[in-house]
Amino acid sequence: MRTFINWLYRCHQWLLTFLIAMLIIPVTMQILARFTNIIPNYIWTEEMSRFCLIWIIMIGASVAVRDGTHFDVDVLPPPKTKAGLALSRIVVHISIFLVALIFLAFGWSFTLFGYDQNSELTGLNMAFIHVAWPFAGFTWVMFLLEKFYDDIQLMKKGSENSNGTA
Amino acid sequence: MGPLEVALILFGAFGTLVILRVPVAFALGLACIPVFFIDDKLTPFLLLNEMMKSYNSFLLLAIPFFMLAANLMNSAGITEKLINLARVLVGWLPGGLGHVSVLVSMLFAGISGSSTAEAAGVGGVLIPAMKKQGYDTEFAVSLVACAAVMGVIIPPSILMVVWGGVISVSIGGLFLAGVLPGVLMALSFMVVVFIYAKRRNYPVYPRPKRGELLSAVGHAILPILTPGIIVGGIVGGFFTPTEASVVAVLYALLLGTMVYRRLGLSELRASMYDSGRFAAISLFCIGTASAFGWLLAYFHIPKLFVDVVSGWGGGITSVGFITALCFLVIGCFIDAIPAIIIVGTILSPLAENVGMHPIHFAIIGVISIAYGLVTPPYGLCLMIACTIGEIKIKDAIKDTLVLFIPMLLVLVFVIMVPDALLWLPRLLMPKLVQ
Repeated sequence: MRTFINWLYRCHQWLLTFLIAMLIIPVTMQILARFTNIIPNYIWTEEMSRFCLIWIIMIGASVAVRDGTHFDVDVLPPPKTKAGLALSRIVVHISIFLVALIFLAFGWSFTLFGYDQNSELTGLNMAFIHVAWPFAGFTWVMFLLEKFYDDIQLMKKGSENSNGTA
Repeated sequence: MGPLEVALILFGAFGTLVILRVPVAFALGLACIPVFFIDDKLTPFLLLNEMMKSYNSFLLLAIPFFMLAANLMNSAGITEKLINLARVLVGWLPGGLGHVSVLVSMLFAGISGSSTAEAAGVGGVLIPAMKKQGYDTEFAVSLVACAAVMGVIIPPSILMVVWGGVISVSIGGLFLAGVLPGVLMALSFMVVVFIYAKRRNYPVYPRPKRGELLSAVGHAILPILTPGIIVGGIVGGFFTPTEASVVAVLYALLLGTMVYRRLGLSELRASMYDSGRFAAISLFCIGTASAFGWLLAYFHIPKLFVDVVSGWGGGITSVGFITALCFLVIGCFIDAIPAIIIVGTILSPLAENVGMHPIHFAIIGVISIAYGLVTPPYGLCLMIACTIGEIKIKDAIKDTLVLFIPMLLVLVFVIMVPDALLWLPRLLMPKLVQ
C-alpha cells in the first residue's frame, strides 16, 4: 500500500513540475504574438493557461496534504505526549478527510455538470477540468489512509510508554 | 435564519477548527458545510462551483509566476549580488550589516513580490552573517523578518494582485501606491538599526573605494532592472500583470542560464516544483475562502456590518483605522490571501460608503495584513527567520515589537495622508487614478 502511495505522490510531484513548465508556454506565446510576428495570435492560450492553473492548484494541494504543509496556526500549546500528538493529528486528518469525502460525493455531479458544457474558446469539454475535484478527493483519501495508520501507531506507542512509566 | 446567526455559525466553526490546528483552507471549506444545509436553495455542490469560479482567473496566474521568478533569482545567486551592492552602498554606516539587510530586502522586494521567498532568500544568507559579526541573533532575526514585509508592499506584490483581482482595483495603481510606504518603512528600519548599532556597538564595513562601488553596481544592475520592467510594463500598458509576471520569469531564466550561468536542469526543476507547490497551497486557500465569502454575501453579512459601523459615524480616517485594526487582528491568525478575500469583501462596502479612494483602502489593507507576517502565532516571515536563526519565536518578540513601532507609524501616515500615497499613481496613471 505504501509503495502505491509513494508512487502516487511522486507522480503528483512530477506532474506539478511539468504543469508549471507548461504554464509558461501559452502566456509567453500570448506576449510574443502581441509584440512580434513570429507566431499568430492564438485565442486558446489564455484559456489553456487558466485550465492548467486549476490542475496545478488541485495537484499541489494534494502534495501538501501528504507533506502536511497546508498553512495551520499554533494557537494551542503543542501536545506533550505521543498520544496527545496522535490525537491532535487525527482531528486534523479527519477534518481533511471530510472535505475529501465532500469532493468525492459532490465531485461526480460536478463532473457531470462540466460534461454538459464546452469551453468558450477551445471547445474543450469542461468535465476534464471539473474532474480535478473528485480526483483530488480520491488522492487525499489515499494519502490520509496512510496518515491514519501512522497516527494509530503513534497512539499505540504513546499508550505503551505511559503504561510503562505509570 | 438571520445574517447574525449565520455569521456566528461560519466564524464560530472556522475559529474552532483553526484552534484545533486544522489547516486554514480546510477550516474555511468545512465551516461552510453546516450553512449549506440550512437553506433549501444551497448545497455543498456550491463549494466546488465557487472554488472553480475563483480559480478560473487569468490574473491569478501571476502568483505562481512571481514566486517562480523569485525562486529562480535566488537559485541564480542574485541575492548575493544584491547583498554586495547593498554592502558598498550602506555597509559603512553604523550597524553596517543591519542596513545591508534592510536595503537588500527593499531591492529584493522589487524583484520578488513574495515576502516569504524574501525572508528565506535574504535571511538564509544574512542571519548567519550577522550572527558571525556579533549581532544579537534575536535582533538579526527580527530585522530580517520585519524587512521581508516590504516584499508585498514594494511592487510587484502578490497580495496587491489578489486584492486587485478580488475587489477590482487597478493593479498598476496599487503597485505605484506601494512605493512610498515601502520606502518609508525602509528608512524607518534604518533609523532603528542606527540606534541599536550605537547602543550595542555593532561593527561597520570600511567605506568602499570607487572601483568597488562601480563593480558592485555593474554586477547587480541587471537584476535591479526587474521592478522597472514589471511596473513600467504594467503602468505603460505594455503587459497585463500576468504577462508582466511571465516576463519576470523569462528575465530571471535569461539571467540565471545565459548571464550568470548558475541555473542548471536540477535547479530549474527544484525552483518550478517549489513555486508550484507553494503557489498551489496559497491558491487552494483562495477557493475555499471565496466560497466562505460567497456565503457571507448571500446572507448579507457585509451589509449588516456596514449598518452597525455606519451607526457609529466617522469618516475616511476612522474607516481607515477600523480597516487596519481588523486586518492586523485577523493577520495574527490566518494567511494574508484568505484574509483579503473575507475581510476585504466585508469592509469594502464600508469604505465605499464613506467615499474612501479604493487604492487608499487597498493599501491600508495590504500593509496591515502584511504586518501579520511578523505577528505571532501565525507570522510566516517571523517563523522562517526564527528557523534560520535557530531561536524560538518568543525570543524574537521583544526586538520585533521595537521594529513594529515604526511600522505602525508608517501605517498611521498612510491612513491619515491619502494624498501622499496617491501622488505617484495620479502622476503616472492620470487616466486610471483620479
